[in-house]
Amino acid sequence: MDSPRPAPASDFLVNKKRVRVLGLSFDDAVKIFFGGNAFVSVLVLALITYFLFQEGFGFFGQNHRNLLTYRQAGLEYVDYIRTQESAHTALTRYLSDLRLRQFSHATLEKKLTPAAANESLVAFDNFAALYGDSVEPLRGLVSELTEQATAIKTKFLVAEDKAVERQQLTAEGKIAEAAAVQIETVDFAVEVKALTGTLPAYKELAAEFIKKLDAALLTAPAMPTAELTTRLERFRQLSSDFTATFPATTRSLETWDYTRAVPWYQAFSAFLFGREWLTASFWQDWYGIVPLFMGSLMVSLVALLLAVPMGVGAAIYVNQIASAAEQRFIKPCIEFISAIPSVVLGFFGIAVLGQLLRWLSQQDALAWVPGFPFSERLNILTAGCLLALIAVPTIFTLAEDALQNVPKAFKEASFALGATRLQTIIKIVVPASLSGIISAVLLGLGRVIGETMVVLLCAGNRIAIPDFTAGLAVVTQPVHTMTGIIAQEMGEVVRGSIHYRALFVVGLGLFFLSLAINFLAQKIVNKYRISIG
Amino acid sequence: MSALNRHILQSQPSAARRWEAAAVWLFRSATYVILLCGALVFGNIVFKGSKTVFTTTAPFINVAFLTEAPESLYVFEYQGKKREMGDREFRAFKAQHPDASNVKSESYVYSAGGIFPCIVGTVLLVVGSMFIALTLGVSAAVYLSEYATQGRVVTAIRLAILNLAGVPSIVFGLFGLGLFVIYLDWNVSLIAGWFTLALMVLPVVITASEESLKAVPKGFREGSLALGATKWQTIRKNVLPYALPGILTSSILGIARVAGETAPIMFTAAYVVRDKLPWEGLTSVSDFFFQGVMALPYHIYVVSSKIPQNEYTERVQYGTAFVFLMIVAAIATSSILLRNKLRNRYKW
Repeated sequence: MDSPRPAPASDFLVNKKRVRVLGLSFDDAVKIFFGGNAFVSVLVLALITYFLFQEGFGFFGQNHRNLLTYRQAGLEYVDYIRTQESAHTALTRYLSDLRLRQFSHATLEKKLTPAAANESLVAFDNFAALYGDSVEPLRGLVSELTEQATAIKTKFLVAEDKAVERQQLTAEGKIAEAAAVQIETVDFAVEVKALTGTLPAYKELAAEFIKKLDAALLTAPAMPTAELTTRLERFRQLSSDFTATFPATTRSLETWDYTRAVPWYQAFSAFLFGREWLTASFWQDWYGIVPLFMGSLMVSLVALLLAVPMGVGAAIYVNQIASAAEQRFIKPCIEFISAIPSVVLGFFGIAVLGQLLRWLSQQDALAWVPGFPFSERLNILTAGCLLALIAVPTIFTLAEDALQNVPKAFKEASFALGATRLQTIIKIVVPASLSGIISAVLLGLGRVIGETMVVLLCAGNRIAIPDFTAGLAVVTQPVHTMTGIIAQEMGEVVRGSIHYRALFVVGLGLFFLSLAINFLAQKIVNKYRISIG
Repeated sequence: MSALNRHILQSQPSAARRWEAAAVWLFRSATYVILLCGALVFGNIVFKGSKTVFTTTAPFINVAFLTEAPESLYVFEYQGKKREMGDREFRAFKAQHPDASNVKSESYVYSAGGIFPCIVGTVLLVVGSMFIALTLGVSAAVYLSEYATQGRVVTAIRLAILNLAGVPSIVFGLFGLGLFVIYLDWNVSLIAGWFTLALMVLPVVITASEESLKAVPKGFREGSLALGATKWQTIRKNVLPYALPGILTSSILGIARVAGETAPIMFTAAYVVRDKLPWEGLTSVSDFFFQGVMALPYHIYVVSSKIPQNEYTERVQYGTAFVFLMIVAAIATSSILLRNKLRNRYKW
C-alpha cells in the first residue's frame, strides 16, 4: 500500500486539493493532536516514576554513608553498652510496676491508708533503689563515651562540609578561597582508640554491676500474694537473663572493628526492615519503614474490616433486594458520601469521633471490649472508622457493578429450580460476581492505603510499631503512616538532604504498592470472570 | 383453623423464610448504617458550622466571615468584662484605652476574621485545573473513542489511565513537587497546583468523557461521513455536541474531587497564610500564575491540627469546614441532578 504509484488524477470528477503541512493534512494533524493528548497519561505515569526515582534514589547512597559514619565514628560501639543500660531501665520499670501493684493491693485489699501502705513497702523500696542505683557507674561510662563519639561524628561531618565547600569554590574558579578552607582530617584509628581504650574499665564495671545486681536481688522482700510472688520470680528470671547477655556484649565490644565495611545492601535492608524511624536526633538518624508500613497496614485493616461487610452488604441489598424507589434514593446518597472531602472527615475525627470513642470506651458497660478504656483519643480505631467511610462508596459502587453484570438468566434459573431469594443471592449471584467483588475490595484497599488527610489528622502520629502483644487492644494505639509522614515532614526538610530523599523513597514505595494493588485487582477480574455466554 | 383456609399455593412460614427475612434485614441495616454515618458527619458540621456562617440579625449571613482575611483572636479581661477581639480591633482598642495596653490576653491564631482568601484560592485552583484537565481529558477521550484502533499503544494508554486512577494523591503531591516546583522551578505557585491537580483528575475525566462519546449512536457518525464530511467535521458537528453535556456533568464529580483534595496542593500551591489576595501587588501578568494561594482544604488542616480545640477556635474550625463542605456538596449535587436529567433527555 505504501509503495509510491502515479496518482491517477483523472479517476475522479472532483478533485479536492488538501493543504499539507509537513506532509500532514488538517485531519492528520487533528488526529495527532488528540493522540498526543491521550499519550499524556502514559507520559505522566512515566514522569511520576522518573521523578520519584530521581529525587529518592540518592537516599540509598546517603544512607550507606550514614551507616558507615555510625560505625566509623564509634557510635555503634557505644550503642552496645547503651543497649545494656536501656535493658536495665526496662527492668527497673518492671519493678515500679510491681510496686504499684503492691501498693494497690495494700490500699484496696488490706484497706491501709496510703501513708501506711508506703510504710509497709519500705523494704521493697530499698531493694528497688539498690537495684536501680547499681547501673550508675555504667551510665557514667555511657554518657562519657556518648560525648566522645558525638564529638568524633561532628568533627567528621564538619570536615565533610568543608570538603564540599572547597569543591564548590574550586568549581566556581575561586582557587585562592578554596585553598584557604581549612579541612581537618579525621583519623578514625586515633579517635576511636579513645573509645576502645575504655574496654578494660568497662569489663571491671560490668563485673561489678553483675555483683551488685545479684546482691540487690538477695535483699528482695517477700510478696504478699501468690500472684505477686510469681511476678517477682519472673523478675528474677528476667534479671538473670539480662546478666547472661553480658559475655556476648563483651565479645561484641572486643571484636568490634571500625574498619569493617558496611555492605552496600545494608543501605536497602536498613530501610526496608529498619524498625525505627528517627530523625533530627542528636545521636543517630534511622530511616526504617517498618513502623510506618505497619501503621498504614493496621489502619487499613481496621477500615476494611468495617467497610467490606457494610459496602458489600449494601451493594447486595441495593442490587438484589431494594425496590426501584429505594435504589434511586440510596445510590446518589452514597455517591454523595464519596464526595465528602477527606480533610473534613479528618476534622470530624478530631472534633467529634475521637472524643466520642474515648467516652464510649470509658463506660463501665463496655469495659469487656478488648482495649477499652483507652486514653489516646486519636488512634488506629478512630482513623480506621473514618477511612471505612471513605472506602465504603468505592467498594459499594464497584461491587454493585459486578452484581449488575451477572446475567439475569442465572437468577431466573435458580428461582425456577425453587431456590429462595436468599439462596439465590448467596449461592448464585454472589459467587458469579465474586471476582468483581474481590477486586472492588482491593481497590477499596488501594484508596484507603493512599489516603492522607484522615490518617494525618486522626491516627495519632506516634512513630512506633504497634505492640501486638496487647492482642485486639492493639487497635487503640496511636500510629504513624507512610502517607502521613510524607505530608507531615516534607514541609520541614532541607531539599536534597537524606531525610528529604527518604520521604521520596517512602512515596516511591507507596506508588509501587498502589500499582501492585491495581494490577492484582485487574488480574483477578480478568482471570476469574465467569465466562458468560 | 387458619391452616385450612390457606390456599395451597400460598407461601408457608418456614425456617428458610425466617432466615431470608433476617438476612434481608441485615443487608438493609448495613445500607442504612452507612447512610446514617454520612448523615451524622454532614449534620454535625452543618449544625455547628451554621452558627458561624449565619446570624440571627439583619443580613442573616455572617458577611465578615466570608469576606475578610484570617486574623489572630485575642481573649482578655478588661474592667471585669471578658472580651474577644480580632487582631486589628484589639490594636485599635489598645490605642483607645491606654490602660489596656498591658492587659493579659490569650491569643489564638486564625481564629478571628474570615476565610475570604481561602475561598478565592480554592476557586482559582479548581477553575484552572479543571480547564487543563478538560482540555487534556476530552481530547484524549476523543482519540480513544473515535480514532484509536486496537494496538499496543492504545493498550498502553488504557493501562496507564487505569493505573493512574489508583495512584495516591500524596504521590501526586510529591510528583508535583519534584517536577513543577523543583525541576521546572515554578516554586510553590498556582500553576504548579493546577497541573498537579489536573493530572490527578485526568483519569476520571477521560473515563467519563469516553463513556459519553461512546453513548452517541454510530448512525450519527455514519450519516455525516456518508454526506462527505471529513472525520474531524463529523466529530466536531455530529459527535461532540451530543456528548458534551454528558462530559461536563460527569466531570463535575471530578471538580468535587479537585476541590476536596489537600495532599497534592500541600507542597505545590498552598500557603498557610498570605496577606495579599491573588490580584494584589502584581507587577506583571506572569506574577499571577507564579504565586501561592491559601486554600480551604489546607486551611481546615491547619486550623484543626495546629491550634487547640476550644470554644474560641471551634467557631472558625466548624465555619471553614461548613463552607467547604457546602461548596463541594453543591458541586456534587448539581452533578448528580444534571446527570439524572440528561439520562431522561437523550434516548436514542
